[in-house]
Amino acid sequence: MAMEITQFLLAAQSADAKVRTEAETNLRQFQEQNMPLFLLSLSVELSNDEKPVESRRLAGIVLKNSLDAKDAIRKEQLVQQWMAIDVSIKSQIKDFLLKTLGSSVPEARHTSAQVIAKIASIEIPRKQWPELIGSLLNNMTQQDKPASLKQATLETLGYVCEEISHQDLVQDEVNAVLTAVVQGMNLADHGPEVRLAATKALYNALEFAQTNFENEMERNYIMKVVCDTAMSTEVEIRQAAFECLVAIASAYYEVLEPYMQTLFQLTSNAVKGDEETVALQAIEFWSSICDEEIELQEFESPESGDSGPPHSCFIEKALSSLIPLLLETLLKQEEDQDQDDTIWNISMAGGTCLGLVARTVGDAIVPLVMPFVESNIVKPDWRCREAATYAFGSILEGPSVEKLSPLVQAGLEFLLNAMKDGNNHVKDTTAWTLSRIFELLHSPANDFSVISPENLKRVLGVLLESIKDAPNVAEKVCGAIYYLAQGYEDAGPSSSLLSPYLTEIISCLIATADRTDGGDSKLRSSAYETLNEVVRCSNIAETSSIIAQLLPVIMNKLGQTMEIQIVSSEDREKQGDLQASLCGVLQVIIQKLSSTDETKPIILQAADQIMLLFLKVFGCRSSTVHEEAMLAIGALAYATGSQFEKYMPEFFQYLEMGLQNFEEYQVCGITVGVVGDICRALDDKVLPYCDGIMGLLLKDLASSELHRSVKPPIFSCFGDIALAIGEHFEKYVPYVLPMMQGAAEICAKMETSDEEMVDYGNQLRRCIFEAYSGILQGFKTVKPEVMVPYAQHLLKFIELVSRDSQRDESVTKAAVAVMGDLADALGSNIKLMLKESAFYDEFLGECLQSDDEQLKETAGWTQGMIQRVMVL
Amino acid sequence: MADDSSTSHRRDPIKSSVGNVAAQRRRQNAVTVGKERRESLVRAKRLCRVGATGDGDVPVEENDMITDEAGFLLDTQTSSAVEELKSAVAYQGKGAMQKRVNTLRQLRRLLSKSEFPPVEAALKAGAIPLLVQCLSFGSPDEQLLEAAWCLTNIAAGKPEETKALMPALPLLIAHLGEKSSLPVAEQCAWALGNVAGEGEELRNVLLSQGALPPLARMMLPNKGSTVRTAAWALSNLIKGPDPKAATELIKVDGVLDAILRHLRKVDEELATEVAWVVVYLSALSNFATGVLVKSDVLQLLVERLATSNSLQLLIPVLRSLGNLVAADSHTISTVLVPGHEITDGVIKVLVKCLKSDHRVLKKEASWVLSNIAAGSIEHKQLIYSSEAVPLLLRLLSTAPFDIRKEVAYVLGNLCVAPTAGEGKPNLIEEHLASLVQRGCLSGFIDLVRSADIEAARLGLQFTELVLRGVPNGDGPKLVEQEDGIDAMEIYQFHENEDLRNMANGLVDKYFGEDYGIDE
Repeated sequence: MAMEITQFLLAAQSADAKVRTEAETNLRQFQEQNMPLFLLSLSVELSNDEKPVESRRLAGIVLKNSLDAKDAIRKEQLVQQWMAIDVSIKSQIKDFLLKTLGSSVPEARHTSAQVIAKIASIEIPRKQWPELIGSLLNNMTQQDKPASLKQATLETLGYVCEEISHQDLVQDEVNAVLTAVVQGMNLADHGPEVRLAATKALYNALEFAQTNFENEMERNYIMKVVCDTAMSTEVEIRQAAFECLVAIASAYYEVLEPYMQTLFQLTSNAVKGDEETVALQAIEFWSSICDEEIELQEFESPESGDSGPPHSCFIEKALSSLIPLLLETLLKQEEDQDQDDTIWNISMAGGTCLGLVARTVGDAIVPLVMPFVESNIVKPDWRCREAATYAFGSILEGPSVEKLSPLVQAGLEFLLNAMKDGNNHVKDTTAWTLSRIFELLHSPANDFSVISPENLKRVLGVLLESIKDAPNVAEKVCGAIYYLAQGYEDAGPSSSLLSPYLTEIISCLIATADRTDGGDSKLRSSAYETLNEVVRCSNIAETSSIIAQLLPVIMNKLGQTMEIQIVSSEDREKQGDLQASLCGVLQVIIQKLSSTDETKPIILQAADQIMLLFLKVFGCRSSTVHEEAMLAIGALAYATGSQFEKYMPEFFQYLEMGLQNFEEYQVCGITVGVVGDICRALDDKVLPYCDGIMGLLLKDLASSELHRSVKPPIFSCFGDIALAIGEHFEKYVPYVLPMMQGAAEICAKMETSDEEMVDYGNQLRRCIFEAYSGILQGFKTVKPEVMVPYAQHLLKFIELVSRDSQRDESVTKAAVAVMGDLADALGSNIKLMLKESAFYDEFLGECLQSDDEQLKETAGWTQGMIQRVMVL
Repeated sequence: MADDSSTSHRRDPIKSSVGNVAAQRRRQNAVTVGKERRESLVRAKRLCRVGATGDGDVPVEENDMITDEAGFLLDTQTSSAVEELKSAVAYQGKGAMQKRVNTLRQLRRLLSKSEFPPVEAALKAGAIPLLVQCLSFGSPDEQLLEAAWCLTNIAAGKPEETKALMPALPLLIAHLGEKSSLPVAEQCAWALGNVAGEGEELRNVLLSQGALPPLARMMLPNKGSTVRTAAWALSNLIKGPDPKAATELIKVDGVLDAILRHLRKVDEELATEVAWVVVYLSALSNFATGVLVKSDVLQLLVERLATSNSLQLLIPVLRSLGNLVAADSHTISTVLVPGHEITDGVIKVLVKCLKSDHRVLKKEASWVLSNIAAGSIEHKQLIYSSEAVPLLLRLLSTAPFDIRKEVAYVLGNLCVAPTAGEGKPNLIEEHLASLVQRGCLSGFIDLVRSADIEAARLGLQFTELVLRGVPNGDGPKLVEQEDGIDAMEIYQFHENEDLRNMANGLVDKYFGEDYGIDE
């Protein structure tokens, strides 16, 4: 029987921390003692209309979180846990959830819809909930059911479709589901709530409708209903219908041809005259078409002309009508849009789409846009001048350099003058356009730039003057300097061109960072990041003394942040942001100066003081700072090498803190990286700290709380540690190796349809290999036999990976390398295993054929190592 | 899934500030730098062939990272390092010695740096004559060491590169002598070991130049790493196929003693290298084998087999044991006499190896056993009543082919009595009946089907024993039950005459027209 848990659920949301903690403990205990009953009680709570909304809400959330998690490993555990529950209890829970769809409380219906979908995602592919679809459809077909139930049912159907694949159901069911959804959109039969829910459900079900979209008749029908719905009288429904069209543009690009005429009319009308929310979706439709065509073009290789999906050239065909439509939108600026980065309006969306169109069609856009630019840029109305500049800036990526550079060269002086325009928006957009020019058409490293050495002085003069303008303009000017400096990175003799101006640029940027009129920290962080890029890209031989002078200035500033009076949490945040920026600058300076033998002593001399500052920053304990200070410490460890040992006793506690920071997983991830830096710096001197570090890393790996992106680097970090401490790693082997084997097995089972998972899987594979490489190399000379029992598993894993068609090159490299390490370290121990694995010849053959020199080299080495073993 | 707030499509505006993106990029860059450093460190570890001496400053990354153009860069650096060496060798002024050592060290680091050491570039630039010059008598140890180290790395290269060391060999050998410091002698031994490993031709050159005696003397003291290196070099040097070197080695005063002494030591790595020397001695030279079996070596080998778990060590030890058993009848007839403690010890360690997870050990142990099983009746009885038989029976049905074959030899040998002349061997009926009863026949029939002629013959021979020797004339029935007739009929028209006659003869004799009439 279910338990009464309302009080606990309410108390768990109490403002009183003590009450809250106690209630959370009680709930957790209940959960641990009897999971099935706990879930049942939650579903009872959620379904009971007499219970308070707050307890039902929490019940729903807890229920949902008991079924699904972002982390793949955790998710799998939850699925197993659900499947282990007794069928009778599960069916009670499901009944309560289905009943809740009819609740009078909208929030309960909504939560229930989500939870049902989560259960469906587990059970439907396993054919364990065959009656779900029927009972949902039943809600829809009965005339007398209330609209609220139908609305909730449609929502549920949408979520379920999103969670499962159409292959999990028989086609009849798929058809029935889609029919129910599409009929829900029917104007004649349903009120606006149901139609809105149906339209949103269709949005979620679009991928599910794959088979139906392949059938022309069904497709025609769905498209007709969506287009009709896009002209509904209710703006929310129109918006939802356009969202469907956007999603269809991405998912079903290849079948859109027959509908494009209609779709152009629909979107064009919406852009011109509909409410902003609808118009934005209409523009998004075209942006999505651009996305598709850009992707097709990127994958288009000359050799395999006919293998890919067809490119329908929708943008090119619509170009002459589409461009005027988009240019019109640019004139619809809001008065203060430049003050706020988060603003998204018609003109922003229009310019963004214009940029995508430029990337799609290239040169063809130029003659269609330039007349607009030329006629508007001199008009008295600022909107015209701003729109003209924005249009010009938007089309700088895509068309050829040959097409653009005469235009840019002719217009550069005009733009520089426009930095003195009377209107703030115009100056803002002009500065942004300059930054785009420098980003895209200024590459002295490749012997091409629209800026000649002669007019560099003029350009810098304007930029360093305009950086004193209003904060929003100054921020864009920072961007222009950023890309200007970036162009000179590794530019050979040209990299000297900026050196004479460096002192002035740096002092202007510091002055900008010190400005107090910026309102928030945006200008400051842009100024510091620009400073970082200027330092990073400078010609070190010529500028080392300038950078050496910058070091104490920044250290001093960082020291001053400790004196900031902290009264409110806002003060704390400000201090933290400022420290983050300054630590960032120090990181770049350390990295730059330690890159040559001549300048490294500058860092070594200051290392004690720098480290002292970082430790003080940690003492202030703000997590953003933590992250940047960590990064900077990684750079310092590299610079100081084994000298870093003396900082370890003080620093270690913060390293531990970083490794335990589950919530801010970026901090944890960076700390893991720093552990690697420290291992390389200290070598076996890191040994006294290894027990602590390893303990935390293993905990991190086992944690279901920690974001998954941190986990692969932890494996690489094991390799770093093993490499540093060699045979002393032996005592960790019984803990680490099973984890690596477990992770390897997870890789083998990983979803291959989800691109993100494929990337993650590749990363994980690479990092596991790196771990093996480090450990094998670490044991090689002293105790290779420790690894013999693990060789077979590793070899199998390599074999599996070698057969994976989706492995990327970095994985291939790591796999080949680790195979060589295995042979190198274990020698004749693995001769027989190698004899029995036929795969490696072919795999090595593939690698030896590669165009990648490094891969070829590694494969050659591995081949040598294996041959050595085989002749032993 | 649309988690609560169904946010509508929203993309990043094309017009944005630089701040956020830049910070993101910078952080990514910092992370990438870490990755690159890891990569270059591991690459350096993989590629550097660290010399025998415990030189602390193994060249790792420091300032020069290994990049994509590493190969080319390395070649260029190497050529210029050789150039520098040239001028350092020519230079006679103040600090000349230090200068030479520094340039040598630089060259050595370059040669240790990559998996493909820039040997070719060094040779092309003319490194060898310079290095030979640096090896001249009276040079300071540091210089000798670095020069020998360079040569070691060059000798690890391709065959023709190794041959380039020819002009340096006399001096390398000369520095093996007692007057040299240990690190120098050891480094020279290392280089010579690499040369000897290259092939017979270079081995003969080294032997004719007298490399063996000084290397052998390096085995005498109790200096672990020196002995290890010398033993390794020697095992390369005596590899044969000419047995002369092996014979010469065992004749060197004190070598036998040293071998025994080092085999007694706890140091497994040392024992491993020494055991390899024993492997080659016993495999090649009857004289050496004769000397060895009369010593305590057998006892020591058995002890090591009993106590060690290092596969690295077990393999050469087991192989040495096998060589000694197989090559010299004295071993079996007078040392491994049934009833002696050592004989029980041998059987025990062989059983241990049969139980091991490593195929190589199982195979070699079976091979040793098959040699012992070829001995006297008493030997056969000893094995027959040992723990080995159940293990062998299991291996015969489950192990990979090459092991099964060795196992079949053991079991086959157990069933036949020693014979004086030609003709069909005499049976040991008790062994045969019991082994067949415990299911070994199907394993042999499997061998009959094998494409390996030798194995097939063994299978047929055993089948013949069964047909002929199983009591009560049950043989034919048993063979038929195991599909033996089918197996033998494969040979009806087989190209190998010998096997064809054997199989057809058996089928005719035991399964001719009359077969089955009795039933």
